[in-house]
Amino acid sequence: MKIQTTIKNLNNYKIYLQVERTVHEFMNKNNYLKVDLPVLSPALIPESYLEIFETKFNYLDKKEKLYLTPSPEIFLKRLLVTGVGNCYYLGRAYRNSEPNSDWHSPEFTMLEFYKLGIDYLEMADEVLKLLQYIKIENKKLKISFKKWEKMSVAQAFLKFTKINEEELFDEKLFFNKAKEKGYNIEKTTYEDLFSQILATEIEPKLGISGYPTLLYNYPKQMASLAKLNEDGRTAQRCEFYINGLEIGGFCTELNDYNEQEKRFISESEKRKKNKMIDHTIDKSFIKALKYGLPFCTGAGIGFERLVMIFANVTSIDKLKLINIID
Amino acid sequence: MRINAGNLKKGEFVTFQGAICQVQKADFYSPGKGSALMKARLKNLITAKNVEYAYKSNEQVEVLDVTSVDMQYIYKDQENLYFMDERTFNQSALPISVVGDISRFFKEGEKMFVYMYNDKPLTIRPPMSVRLKIVEADDAAKGDTVSGAKKPVKVETGATVMVPIFVKVGETISINPETGEYTGRV
Repeated sequence: MKIQTTIKNLNNYKIYLQVERTVHEFMNKNNYLKVDLPVLSPALIPESYLEIFETKFNYLDKKEKLYLTPSPEIFLKRLLVTGVGNCYYLGRAYRNSEPNSDWHSPEFTMLEFYKLGIDYLEMADEVLKLLQYIKIENKKLKISFKKWEKMSVAQAFLKFTKINEEELFDEKLFFNKAKEKGYNIEKTTYEDLFSQILATEIEPKLGISGYPTLLYNYPKQMASLAKLNEDGRTAQRCEFYINGLEIGGFCTELNDYNEQEKRFISESEKRKKNKMIDHTIDKSFIKALKYGLPFCTGAGIGFERLVMIFANVTSIDKLKLINIID
Repeated sequence: MRINAGNLKKGEFVTFQGAICQVQKADFYSPGKGSALMKARLKNLITAKNVEYAYKSNEQVEVLDVTSVDMQYIYKDQENLYFMDERTFNQSALPISVVGDISRFFKEGEKMFVYMYNDKPLTIRPPMSVRLKIVEADDAAKGDTVSGAKKPVKVETGATVMVPIFVKVGETISINPETGEYTGRV
């Protein structure tokens, strides 16, 4: 990798700063507490789909492994348990094994915020308010944030892939349907196949008709840390898209610590199986959750991706004065 | 050669749903949950249509072993560009739609590399830069020479290029044919 300086991105970078200022302003006006957080942590939450950066603290005989945080969740949820209230983080996050591309960089900026007492659909209104608040003079901007184009995951699959609800929620039927469509179904999981079909056939068509698209109610296999719906097969999780690109997502937070603990164990087993970096597990995180995470919804937004929309550029590197490139 | 889709690169050739395609774009993409994907834009080299496909990044993909042959661009008609292998005098035709916009910068008689697979031409290997003479341009506007102002000019192949206003008719300029950008005077 090498260092690249690109002064011709100055105007885009100024838009980046402007969006950043507006987001802080919005959060401040709406009583979210800004929290500055460490990015080096002695332990992490196990996640089987995220590889991490590992480093070491050295002082004489004392040596200790430290990890760059792939998301601020580990700290923000602790704070929520202690009663900090509505809060947000806008800062760096790090993910290893994610090479530079138009939409990815191993070092990126994340906006994560939590609001107490609301569920995922109410959070959709809050995120829309935030998007409306960011007013950047840009005549080329072809998107309006007056409303969401709302679509459940099942509706989107039916509309764009002709996979109906029954086929979507039944793993065996789903695999058959995928095979019929020509996808390679060997050595794969429902989750991976779901993501592949979503990325190939659905995502390019989202957020392209003048409004951002909100996809909601993901199959429970894709629940992540979201609360399940009463139908027993979907989770209270949303993602939103502009110009075919996923910008962010949110979910009603799972506050059942037994479920969380189970997930901790299965995710760390998967990490071992996949020979990922063997990091120290943050056991006190579970303790904190046992104490009690309040009813809340958390949202995560890829900040560079969001700014890309307002700056009207198609890749992250066009927003920066200094890029680390391949 | 079989590779992990995660290593696919722009310019490589693959077979997709039975047709030979060239990778136009390949970008790593990781959804919130689930394994990483490689989002590729593939150009079908028969229909010239692009198709978007997300490979699982650990999925095996067969990359075709193509050769590139030095040829001379001889002429074009409404549909095709014609090339000649100077050693064998064999002619090859490539649809303009397959070669793409870049062909507006091709000058008859220029040498170029053509990708071949099983003795069939697939497409051309884009030259890094082309040199073309300006045949039509407005006179340089006075004054604004410092702010990087540009004007359109016509080059000998008929294509239009934006150049700094001090560049004149009769001068030869170099152009990046893939972006259509002026890169300097020659």
